[in-house]
Amino acid sequence: MRATGPGIRKAAAVVLTFGLSAALAACGSDDGGGDGGDHKAAPKLSVSGAYVSQPPLDDMAAGYLTVRNAGGGADKLTSVTTPLASEVTLHTTEGTRMKQVSSLDVPADGRVQLTSGGDHLMLTNLTHRPKVGEKVSFTLHFATSDPIEIKVPVEPTTYRPKD
Amino acid sequence: MRTKILATALAAAAALTLSACGGSADGGKGDNAAAEVKGGQKSGQAIVLDQAKAKPDIVLTDTDGKKYDLLKETKGRPTLLFFGYTHCPDVCPLTMSNVGIAVKKLPKAEREKLRVVFVSTDPARDTPKRMRSWLDAQGGTDFVGLTGDFNTIEAAARPLGIYIEKPKKEKDGSITVSHGAEVIGFSPKDDKGHWIYTTEASADRYAKDLPKIIEGRNP
Repeated sequence: MRATGPGIRKAAAVVLTFGLSAALAACGSDDGGGDGGDHKAAPKLSVSGAYVSQPPLDDMAAGYLTVRNAGGGADKLTSVTTPLASEVTLHTTEGTRMKQVSSLDVPADGRVQLTSGGDHLMLTNLTHRPKVGEKVSFTLHFATSDPIEIKVPVEPTTYRPKD
Repeated sequence: MRTKILATALAAAAALTLSACGGSADGGKGDNAAAEVKGGQKSGQAIVLDQAKAKPDIVLTDTDGKKYDLLKETKGRPTLLFFGYTHCPDVCPLTMSNVGIAVKKLPKAEREKLRVVFVSTDPARDTPKRMRSWLDAQGGTDFVGLTGDFNTIEAAARPLGIYIEKPKKEKDGSITVSHGAEVIGFSPKDDKGHWIYTTEASADRYAKDLPKIIEGRNP
């Protein structure tokens, strides 16, 4: 968790916007992100496909998203904060064993994908039970990159993204 | 210990895979739980076991706080059995909600025949009341929720190929939990488990398959 200054939202928005275009470029061909390539080793992150699945009860929920890194430097997702939950923990799943971890790697020129049955965010101590249609605000904190703020939709419990 | 359990699970998985490739064994001993795998996990289709599994002989406590004898209560009834826990944000509600949606689509008569049984793998935290709310919220108002002694539940799950462990507090204070993510379908004809669904099984898949399972036929 990095110290956050007043300009952080703006910075996050810039990162997000840039990230989105990077993601779009990535969908086309792979030669896209040449532009701002002054810092070769810097990570360039973007977040997509985020959702919270509507939980059956009002005390915990799971969150999913993908962080892409179009940069040449690796980063780590270290924490997520949200007004919805006073605690968000990162989990990995190995086989049928779910384990809390302190960070998730976002490899250079790669991505970390949080999916149902795999790595995921566990939101506990919720302020309320989130319902389908609601948008939840998430701030993603990284070891190197600036925080990224996103709005995350609440999807049905049985929702599975199509990829 | 952990490694051992994992190794066993892996071996079991390998056995499943291997037997799927080879031809069927000449029906001798039967002590090797050879399973013929039809359909893949990707599609969410039922895995049809060629060696049916016995229904666990357990007596647990239901959400009314009453004793529930699984064999007696589900005898001659199509039954779906799922081991999970309510503090599971991920695959447990996904699985249960998919079943919940599918069951709602069944005609009343079929729905009344079917038993959907959720067995807690976290009995320390899953009170009958909490399980009831959790099931009800997922359309499972007539689902059975069972809790009881962890060792009893673990022993019941193991022969079904479901390996569960008590939530474990790691040295750094975090908690590691494990759970089976499979739903096992038992036939009303012989009260044995013939079908396994993974978390890939969608509500539509269950909706399509349940009428057959209720008749004791392969989906």
